[in-house]
Amino acid sequence: MGTATGIIRALNSGVRHIARKRFTLRYPEQKLKFVGDGYRYDPITGVGIAGLKGRHMLFHDHCTGCQLCSIACEGVAEAIGMVKVPETHKHNKKSIMPQIDYGKCVFCGLCVDACPFYALYMSNDYELSSFTKEGLIYTPAQLQVKPYVSQDAEIQITDRGATHG
Amino acid sequence: MSAQLPPGLQLEKTDERIMTLNVGPQHPGSGHMRIIVQIDGDYIVACDPDPGYVHRGEEKMAEYRNYITNIPHLERPVIHDSCNILYPYVLGVEDLLGIETPERAKYVRVIASELNRCVYTLYWLAIYGIFLGHSTMFMWPTGDRELFIDLLEKMTGARVTHAYMVPGGVRNDLPANFEDVCLRQVDYFEKRIAEYADVFYDNPILISRTENTGVLSRTDAIRLGVTGSVLRASGIDYDIRKREPYDVYDSLDFETNVLRAGDAYARSKIPWLDMMESCRIIRDALSKMPKSGSVRVKLKPNPKGGMESVYRRVESGRGALGCHIVSRKKPEPYRVKLSVGSFRNLIALPYLLKGERLGNMPSVYWSLNYWPVEADR
Repeated sequence: MGTATGIIRALNSGVRHIARKRFTLRYPEQKLKFVGDGYRYDPITGVGIAGLKGRHMLFHDHCTGCQLCSIACEGVAEAIGMVKVPETHKHNKKSIMPQIDYGKCVFCGLCVDACPFYALYMSNDYELSSFTKEGLIYTPAQLQVKPYVSQDAEIQITDRGATHG
Repeated sequence: MSAQLPPGLQLEKTDERIMTLNVGPQHPGSGHMRIIVQIDGDYIVACDPDPGYVHRGEEKMAEYRNYITNIPHLERPVIHDSCNILYPYVLGVEDLLGIETPERAKYVRVIASELNRCVYTLYWLAIYGIFLGHSTMFMWPTGDRELFIDLLEKMTGARVTHAYMVPGGVRNDLPANFEDVCLRQVDYFEKRIAEYADVFYDNPILISRTENTGVLSRTDAIRLGVTGSVLRASGIDYDIRKREPYDVYDSLDFETNVLRAGDAYARSKIPWLDMMESCRIIRDALSKMPKSGSVRVKLKPNPKGGMESVYRRVESGRGALGCHIVSRKKPEPYRVKLSVGSFRNLIALPYLLKGERLGNMPSVYWSLNYWPVEADR
């Protein structure tokens, strides 16, 4: 193949893309849809349930303050510390629950795998930016709140290329 | 002018005409490493790669953590190929602890590993494109990489650092209708990747810049001990997936790509051909995978190995990736040694650059499939 033919072919290949739709996800307006409600784990079968590993969800009525999540995090990020909570539960004698520092968390989800009481899950919320370092530390009360997310963009493949809808 | 270099790095200076030039460590053309080149006019007389700027002590860190908590940090050297760098570690720990992995988990691992290989290779290709001033080749692979990142995100829950493989299988099962989505996106990608030929691989400008540049002969490739795509571009058919099949690679239908030329063009083409094989593997693995069954063996807390050591290796995006684990009856490994493809390929750089023009340095350097962070570990 001659040089001129090769260059024309390369240019032509680029020109054909003018007619194609944009693939880029327009992030703040569009958000990617994930499978499920976030990463979960079933301690009975020992297998996780697929989902995004985002901000944690803590269920106060399940947490016994056993510290297994904190121990699991020790070798990874040391992001989980156990703190006193004001409310008292029968199953949580010491009244301690995990507090997570998202400045340190690597979102590996090993704490979720460590929880034997279905108390700690991960949610689809990944927008955790804050102006201060203290703002990244989530107390048990904050972790209890179910995040509101609206994520609906998905990769769509058409004859004119792939788009994010 | 003579740069003040540490004694080991001082290159011999023979002529007044020769100038020493530091490329890096902050130079975009070298990544997180330094290449000390001596040039005579525009021609490279000698070259000394100087890695080690992003050493993180991963191997030492592994000695203080148990077999499971090692997983999130061991994948850090290559975050965009994180399944493949964990693979030999996970296989080794399974041998140490005597775990039998479920059949379905083996297929899921192969799929994750091949998807991740595509993510890595597309990233590498994008950088190769921009090194050569080809902006389109930076944009296209970066965009198409999203297809695989999306699949891995559905599968593992994270876009880059997945922490997906564990001794005894994988963390979670595939989500519902993953197969359909995966097949649809892989089919689209195969059509898409063919377009790269027009714009990049058959482009006369690329060919004139990379053909007969930095030629590594077959005998030199064996002598220097390079691996992966660099070895296959020099005409040696060596792929660990074929030679020492791990998990279920022996039952899958794929071929290894070998080119004879040994130049930068051949080295840049092999990963592109490998991506097509990866798509074949993914499709084959999805069809042969058992439709149900467990994907993870439940381990005891803090499992301990015996008094033994294992060495397992896999084919990563950059070549052979081995992991040597020594166990001393404790929950933590006594020693974890990673043998990475990047470091093995870097040794060829001084031989390849000798006599080349300085302008050809990025194309030769990046064609070695070198990832600085992985080499430093």
